[in-house]
Amino acid sequence: MLDLALAEGLPNADGISAAIFAGALPSFSNCKSPQEAKAAAKRKRALLYCKGYEIDDGALLEAARNGGAVLFAFCDVLGESGFRRAIIVSKMRLLLQACRREGCPFAFCTLASNEGQLRSARELAAFAAVLGATPEERKHSEKLLEGIAGKAGKGGKKGEKNGA
Amino acid sequence: MALKPTQRFKQRYVAFVLTCNALHPAYAEAKELVHSHFLSFFGESGISSLAFKLVKYDDKAGIGIVRCERSRVDEIIFCMACLSSWKGQAARMEPRSTSGTIRRL
Repeated sequence: MLDLALAEGLPNADGISAAIFAGALPSFSNCKSPQEAKAAAKRKRALLYCKGYEIDDGALLEAARNGGAVLFAFCDVLGESGFRRAIIVSKMRLLLQACRREGCPFAFCTLASNEGQLRSARELAAFAAVLGATPEERKHSEKLLEGIAGKAGKGGKKGEKNGA
Repeated sequence: MALKPTQRFKQRYVAFVLTCNALHPAYAEAKELVHSHFLSFFGESGISSLAFKLVKYDDKAGIGIVRCERSRVDEIIFCMACLSSWKGQAARMEPRSTSGTIRRL
């Protein structure tokens, strides 16, 4: 299983074959607002990451048409605590339901910026299950990340670590 | 009066490794950490339906076992993964294996 990280040179957690540096992926879009996400969804095979998880249905439909996907990051759960953590998990659940409704693919990763934020494959699977993803959707998410890594490898992008 | 086996929760055991500031905490501290973290994550109502129990903890190896309801293993593992700090120190509760019996862990 592959993972996406926001830092280079992080070690591999249990069950993770490689942690790819997301910044090196040309398709990765870190969207600050729903408007930015909508603009990014128009690009081919865009990987949409919105920290607020407020991507609207139109953007999801656009992303689905263009072969894009939405990223769910575990670091956002770690960054909050208490009631705010409950809110972010709830927003993730709603976005996942919207993705399913609009036929937009999604993937689960840590987007870790340090070693303490890395999580094992089993923990990422549990994260997906808690958000409401089915086992088939989890497998599809893994394949999606492997596809991204394969394409990035062919492109010869710098910054990929641990043999991805 | 003991419950009949069919009326009891179907259980799973999850083994984990606990580290707090790169050290394995002592039993009393580990118990407090696990109980308070799970209580804050699930709440009183959640814990009651979870069949949760810290079965054992070895403070030398930092390895512990928690019991939970069979259908909620993923939630338990997610809860463990959500632990990142404890009393201002970096803490980690890393799930290792899941089994229906303690012996098989």
